[in-house]
Amino acid sequence: MTIELFDVQVTHEGRTLVDVPRLTLRPGRAVTIVGESGSGKSLLAHALMGSLPHALHATGEIHLGPDRSSLTDTRARRKLWGRRLALLPQEPVLALDPTMRVHHQVAEGHPRFLHGRRGRAEALELAGTRLAGLGLGGTEQAYPHTLSGGMAQRVAFAAATIGGAEVLIADEPSKGLDTGSRDALARLLTRHVDQGGSLLTITHDLDLARAVGGTLLVMRQAGIVEQGPTEQVLARPAHTWTQRLLAAQPRRWTPPWRDTTPDPAAGTTLITGSGLRKAYGARPLFSGLDLEIAAGERLSLTGPSGCGKTTLGGILLRLVPPDAGEVRHHPGLAEGRVQKLYQDPSVAFAPRVPIRTGLRDVVRRHRADPARVHLLLERLGLDPALLDRRPGEVSGGELQRLAIIRAMLVEPRVLFADEPTSRLDLLTQEETVGCLMDQVVEHGAALVLVTHDLDLAAAVADRQVSLDGIHDAEPAESERTG
Amino acid sequence: MPTPTLPETTDPGTTGSRPPVARAPHDFFWAQAAGRVLVRRTAQAVAVALAVTVTCFIIVQRLPGDIAFRIAAGRYGYDKVDAAAAAEVRAQTGLDEPAFDQLAGWILDAVRLDFGTSLVTGAAVTGELGHHLAATLHLAACALLVSLVLGAAIGVLAAQSRGGLLDRLTDVWVAVARAMPPFVLGLVLIIVFSVQLGWVPAAGHGERGNIVLPALTLAAGLSGLFARVTRDTVVQILDSEQVRFAETKGLGRHVVLARHVLRNAGVTLVAYVGVQALVLVEGVVVVESLFAWPGLGHALVHAVFWRDIPSMQATVLALALIVVVVSTLVDLAVLALDPRTREVR
Amino acid sequence: MSVPAPQRITTAAPDGNPDGNPAGTPATPPAPRWGTPGRAVRARTARLLAGALLTALVAFALLGPLVWHQYSGQDLSQFLQPPSPAEPLGHDHLGRSVIARLAHATRLSLALAVLCVATAALAGTALGLLAAWRRGWLDQLLLGISEVFLALPALLIVLIFAALASGELWTIYLGIALAQWVEYFRVVRARSVSVLTSPAVEAAGLLRLGPVHVLRRHLWPELAPVLLTMATLGMATAVLAMSTLSYVGVGLTPPTAELGLLITEALPYYHEAPWMVLAPVAVLLLLLVGLLGLRSQEVRR
Repeated sequence: MTIELFDVQVTHEGRTLVDVPRLTLRPGRAVTIVGESGSGKSLLAHALMGSLPHALHATGEIHLGPDRSSLTDTRARRKLWGRRLALLPQEPVLALDPTMRVHHQVAEGHPRFLHGRRGRAEALELAGTRLAGLGLGGTEQAYPHTLSGGMAQRVAFAAATIGGAEVLIADEPSKGLDTGSRDALARLLTRHVDQGGSLLTITHDLDLARAVGGTLLVMRQAGIVEQGPTEQVLARPAHTWTQRLLAAQPRRWTPPWRDTTPDPAAGTTLITGSGLRKAYGARPLFSGLDLEIAAGERLSLTGPSGCGKTTLGGILLRLVPPDAGEVRHHPGLAEGRVQKLYQDPSVAFAPRVPIRTGLRDVVRRHRADPARVHLLLERLGLDPALLDRRPGEVSGGELQRLAIIRAMLVEPRVLFADEPTSRLDLLTQEETVGCLMDQVVEHGAALVLVTHDLDLAAAVADRQVSLDGIHDAEPAESERTG
Repeated sequence: MPTPTLPETTDPGTTGSRPPVARAPHDFFWAQAAGRVLVRRTAQAVAVALAVTVTCFIIVQRLPGDIAFRIAAGRYGYDKVDAAAAAEVRAQTGLDEPAFDQLAGWILDAVRLDFGTSLVTGAAVTGELGHHLAATLHLAACALLVSLVLGAAIGVLAAQSRGGLLDRLTDVWVAVARAMPPFVLGLVLIIVFSVQLGWVPAAGHGERGNIVLPALTLAAGLSGLFARVTRDTVVQILDSEQVRFAETKGLGRHVVLARHVLRNAGVTLVAYVGVQALVLVEGVVVVESLFAWPGLGHALVHAVFWRDIPSMQATVLALALIVVVVSTLVDLAVLALDPRTREVR
Repeated sequence: MSVPAPQRITTAAPDGNPDGNPAGTPATPPAPRWGTPGRAVRARTARLLAGALLTALVAFALLGPLVWHQYSGQDLSQFLQPPSPAEPLGHDHLGRSVIARLAHATRLSLALAVLCVATAALAGTALGLLAAWRRGWLDQLLLGISEVFLALPALLIVLIFAALASGELWTIYLGIALAQWVEYFRVVRARSVSVLTSPAVEAAGLLRLGPVHVLRRHLWPELAPVLLTMATLGMATAVLAMSTLSYVGVGLTPPTAELGLLITEALPYYHEAPWMVLAPVAVLLLLLVGLLGLRSQEVRR
């Protein structure tokens, strides 16, 4: 079944959020839409599905094979849910019912599930088969909270597709997944296409787009600015915005701070961790780990989700006690000369207090020059008016830059950055990391970057410590040469 | 129709901070969690019993010397009290022993569930307690059932018609139920249904229809609260990702409501019954006094009025234990309904 | 007697980012907003009305006793005198001025409620902060004590105290305050623990900003609105407990002018002088409505 959409417009209180003249999904073909936050790419998918929030209004026409209907008629499409149209949810962990066993949640999407005892048995049997086929054999009786993010994603996939829908819409399916889970997801999606289904993927993850292939659409400000075969668009982008987007991938960065690395050998050791061991419940994260951080160096801690890299950071900062081993700080690190940036900056500020107030407290406590705040605002390209807002009223990228300013006011010698950009889109990430590195270089501070993104780690750090093994006594280290 | 299968069987990513324990024995967790609940609640019950017992003892010690007179007056009438009668009472009730011995004996007696004899009637407190308890449980159970069914039904319906007429009526109902003091509500009900209409007896126990007014008074306040909580919970769940996903799986609205919304709302509502246990017990005290329903609350107010400390101790203990028992049952029910609560974090 | 709070006391950042969606995350469809502007306006009007109502009642409680100061003088020749311009509520069965008694009763209820709530809130907040800050054995001890109070409904505690010396004001004050502190303790402790373990406080620690900053910028802004809501609720509870107690006969004793007593005393004369019953009931209801309506409206979807 080929699906075609014509003249799609989604509006909210008179504002146009999506304006796409045509979108075609064919059997056995994948279509991927990439774009920045707020470009309307998710709304387009929900307009097709008929699952837009009530406040939004969609107009246009949809051709489902021979059937034609208006996009306003969501009731008609609701009847197709599960049978012909399936939606893979954004955050599978939230999309699964926490009180229901996994195989029931999968089976209930089966058309015969509600038709008597035999139908139910049939559906449950198929659910078991599907789950086993996804490498989830033995989890039928499990509850969702016991699953990892990657496993939950596959359960959601089984639940969404058991009804036999040939059209699969995946809305930001890789949100919160690490590299390994993302690759597994890409294989699942490709398989659906290979077996004759059609696929619409909405993502901001260029690697996922590359892995899924097919046709790539680039959306910006409610419209499609570029489209073509994925490989071609990614290799030779035509539109300037696509070019910028691609250049914002860490592996393409050519930043000026790359060449200003101070000689790590000259630096004194600021933080020494020796014989560190930590377990999460019964699961050991690491043991016998030795790590030193020298002045001015740039170190990255990498590894998949849940490997304990954030915990290790906390131990090195002496915020978390290790199960064994000890952490020594150089005396020069007293008085707040170690600072930290958080993955979600909005939880790192007092939530109900204007940012100006929080910064003023820092300035007073450390007798910093009040004029430096404005100097830094200017350097980081931020509007001083932001200071009068509360943390919740500032965008994530801007707030992370404000967090950088706050940290820099105390002239830190070591800066820990815990996934500082993992919630930001590519362009904002580039901008934020740029600001961060400018400041790190200017102050000669050591940087410890905790990240799951190997490209980012490679782009920023001179030395990488990987925590991918679970029982690693010796963290794998790699030095960048040249 | 594509049949998805994935060649590899290993899980490539263990996202999230918790280790995957998908194959762990759930019954084991259940038993463990239930054990924790029981230990905690037992400790609570023991602590409450001890606190109440000691407090009651202190009150007896602190009571002015004329307590014996007062008791004697309660028994024989004010005009027949003299020093001899008071002394007799004092000897009878052990009020003349040293304080420490009295306390030890007092606690020991409480452990044996022997609360002594009523200072007023002279009857064994424990014997009367059973009748009072039965009457109170009867009333409380009726009220709880009515309010729960009514409140949940109104709440679910109101959530379905968000912002509609029923929703607004629920708002009004909740506001009235909350601002109306139970004794005033009871008064209004008596005047309307008993005095004016003559449909049901105003007070008493034993006749058919006696329970209607007290149960309604008690249920009215509770049902408003249940309605509000149910409505808000259901609205929250209806807006959740899990309901959206269930719908896009192709399930009809009613199936989603039955299989997902009510199931999850049930967890919150059951947990809320635990919170309401306190309100229920307070209501029991007021409503029983108002309608002369011969339960624990009625007995308690009487005991307080006459400074009948043994009876007071027994009734307070019984009411507090009702709270603990209801909380325990609620904890266990939540454990059974919500698998997430079974594991230690 | 507690006026139950039917939901978590949340005053979730009314002025915060309405979508709660940290910008920079990929576009999600804007969450459906059900809180229409009409609803917000209505809520504000309701709060204003409640405020006006309370102001009027407070004025009556403060000024009334000055105007009608004779509230206990008996004069049987005035037996059940109907209302007149000088005595808007007439006289009771002992010939006492009903409005004077009502004004004094209102003043007593309000004063006691303020006193109880202030005591309970102060003690509960201080202990809650202490437990959250120190943790360890002190926290465990206070938690254990609070568990005991959790199993004892407030009215039971007040009743036990009433048995100590019935009819005296201080037993009721102590009973209500003792019954209420635990709520403040539990809420303050729970909120403070979550604030103190938050990344924001961790960051403040790394910035060496000190306890005063944490208290002023992190804890207080988080606790103040909750405490305010709890305080209005607690006042309603106290007013209700006091009147209930004297209504069932174990609270204050005549000839004190108290709302519950006024109702009890007037009840036998309901047919001859219904205003005598209705006036204290109305004051009680208005007090409760005012106090409950004053609390910031729950954030509703």
